[in-house]
Amino acid sequence: MVLDLWHVWGGEQAAAIDEVVARFEACHPNIRINPVFTSNDLATSQKFFTAVASGAPPDVIFVDGPQVAPWAEWGALVPLDPYLEAAGIKPQDYFDPCWQQCSYEGKTWALTYCADPNFGFVWSRQAFREAGLDPDRPPTTIEELDEMAEALTRRGPGGELESIGLIPWAQYGPANSMFTWGWAFGGEFYDPETRTVTADHPDVVRALAWMISYCDRFDVRRISALEAGFGTQEQDPFYTGLMAMRCLHIGGIVDIGKYAPDLDWAVSFLPAPEEGGKPRSSWVGGWCMSIPEGCPHPDEAFELIRWTCHDPAGTTAAGEASGLFPGMATSPYFDQVRDEPHYGAFLDIIEETRHQRPVMPSQAFLMRELARAVDAARFGKIAPPKTVAIVAPGSPDWAVEVEQELSGMGSTLVADPAEADITVVDATSDGVAIPHGEHVLAVTTKAETPEGAHGYALAPLTADHLRRWYIARVALHRATVNTQNELDLILKGGG
Amino acid sequence: MASTSARRSRGWLRTELTGLLFSSPAIIGLAAVMAYPVAASLYYSFCNYSVLKPPTWVGTANYERLLTDELFWTSLWNTLYFAAFSVPLGIIVAFLLALLLNVKVRGMTVYRTIFYIPSIVPMVASSVLWIWLFNPQYGAVNALLRHVPGISDPPGWLSDPAWAKPTIILWSIWGVGNTVVIFLAGLQGVPQALYEAAEVDGASPWQRTLSITVPYMTPYLFFALVMGLIGSFQFFTPAMVMTNGTGGPADSTMFYALNLFHRAFSDFKMGYACAMAWVLFILVVIATLVVVKSSARYVYYESADEGAV
Repeated sequence: MVLDLWHVWGGEQAAAIDEVVARFEACHPNIRINPVFTSNDLATSQKFFTAVASGAPPDVIFVDGPQVAPWAEWGALVPLDPYLEAAGIKPQDYFDPCWQQCSYEGKTWALTYCADPNFGFVWSRQAFREAGLDPDRPPTTIEELDEMAEALTRRGPGGELESIGLIPWAQYGPANSMFTWGWAFGGEFYDPETRTVTADHPDVVRALAWMISYCDRFDVRRISALEAGFGTQEQDPFYTGLMAMRCLHIGGIVDIGKYAPDLDWAVSFLPAPEEGGKPRSSWVGGWCMSIPEGCPHPDEAFELIRWTCHDPAGTTAAGEASGLFPGMATSPYFDQVRDEPHYGAFLDIIEETRHQRPVMPSQAFLMRELARAVDAARFGKIAPPKTVAIVAPGSPDWAVEVEQELSGMGSTLVADPAEADITVVDATSDGVAIPHGEHVLAVTTKAETPEGAHGYALAPLTADHLRRWYIARVALHRATVNTQNELDLILKGGG
Repeated sequence: MASTSARRSRGWLRTELTGLLFSSPAIIGLAAVMAYPVAASLYYSFCNYSVLKPPTWVGTANYERLLTDELFWTSLWNTLYFAAFSVPLGIIVAFLLALLLNVKVRGMTVYRTIFYIPSIVPMVASSVLWIWLFNPQYGAVNALLRHVPGISDPPGWLSDPAWAKPTIILWSIWGVGNTVVIFLAGLQGVPQALYEAAEVDGASPWQRTLSITVPYMTPYLFFALVMGLIGSFQFFTPAMVMTNGTGGPADSTMFYALNLFHRAFSDFKMGYACAMAWVLFILVVIATLVVVKSSARYVYYESADEGAV
């Protein structure tokens, strides 16, 4: 019997999958595997869907974690629950987000082949030394990160950037960056219970407002110019010294060893805001294995998935061959790498991971909307607030300060919050429940009253800070509304 | 009489059937790979359809939703913007190039080849080349621009929302070789006698071009206009390659076809995407009709022989 395995790995990872397959065949004499490279991105996953639609699918398909829910919704995958039960595979065998990303509508549709701890926060020790920073002390708070980013940035005679400490939105694309910082700031993007998109969560807004502060500090067009020269592999900006700090996925360890073996770098947890942040935040990505609808040999297909994703020998084989982490938390492979440089740090990260990207059928749409929100915010595509209301009985000092700041922003002060683009309110006033202690609240949309508002900006209430916060709020609110509409339509079965 | 006519009609039927038989591969092929998908896409545009599950009828919901889809309007605007600049600019550049390449000088075939070469470079390859030519920091274009007095800070091109569309319009000019070839062929048909007569009358080269060449070339210019319009409405590949499919920065290169592609193949909303395709089709038909209907006013059809009389 021959099983068709469609995988997504080119280059060295292709050799890894061949190695895994060889070891599987060695202990399964009756099953031969035919591994076929079928790249999976938005342009090429059509091949898989065409194969399923025509009734000639492969036996096993690799599916990206966030694709599991949409593919299940579209009817391309088979639920694995009966097989999992028979094999005694339980959720607690896996890192929780790895299991979560494969669970949709009460069923489990895939098992995680590789778990990507997103991300390791890495820094160039050499760049730290050159900038006069302690190479063994990475930033642990956003405030420290900002200071270090400034110290690590070099400008040329014409003001152009020669290198930069950090580009917040360049962590594997704007959408992944938004997830990364959004969670680190304490935000949430989706509530699976109520199927509500929450990408305009106040802490996600706060994260985006912080991200675009780099546009003001370093000039967004100069950063874009620098970014346009970023390459991959040998030309990766972190390897070539163009960027001193970044987020790195675990495959980066192998890549650095190959393309920049002399790079002096270290990895630790992601920094988080001192106030209201979630320290040591991360999320899990990674590829999963599943059985397509219409699979000719489902029992043997599941045995391949079980061995590769769950069996101690299989997960060890996959880990050794690929250098990636298995999704199975109790795999003996982890004992092999715990003491290895960099791998140990990534293992610490994945053991604390609590998040996966929202498990919902409009996942690709959400990613594009988040990217659009980040783009719109950083390129100034959203107008600053025109009308502002300040709700502060008795004109306290802060209200006077805010009023001055806002007049400097070119905003008109209005009395009625219902007419204002943005309303500023003392968070300690009655009926306004705001987390993170004492703040001043800002409400954006006209429909929201201060009492019902869920948005807030943290001090300092400078004009710049309020403007960025407002822009981030509008951008993310739009993304939230659009994605919610899309999701509701899919769930309703509408066009 | 009757039997003769019956024989005739039998003979007619025979001829018809034979004709149909011989053209059947083309007819069946066109019906299967063109007519059916086109008809099916019209049907699906009124459905919710995600390929693997059977389509469900939703009436005009997809079309209604387009009206409120902000990205639909953005992508339509980007596409119209692109067409409005790239088509006329392409025609003007191609026409000027054709005039230059029609001059009788030594080595003209070499020049003609040089200007045609970009048209045979695959779109993806030339798009990738363009990314690097227009790289803000290391690109050849900005390296040259920095030597121009007064330009200390050249544009960010594809990385700047304000410049991304103009950059792609510039790219489209690069591939005018095909149009140049058509124009060159057209230029051969302009009667030489008219030029000689005009020269005798003391017309300047500029007057000769404007009063003789341009009128005789209008059918070719018209052809280029129609084809250019259709092509630019469907503009896709370079936007996909140059922006990695994002249509960024900040939606500035989110063209209609790229948006449609995302709706179809990222979101598997085939019904919605089919509705978009039909709206695009209707827009192209309208634009083409406007151009064709108005062409009587400015297109001059007269064969070169008649003109020479």
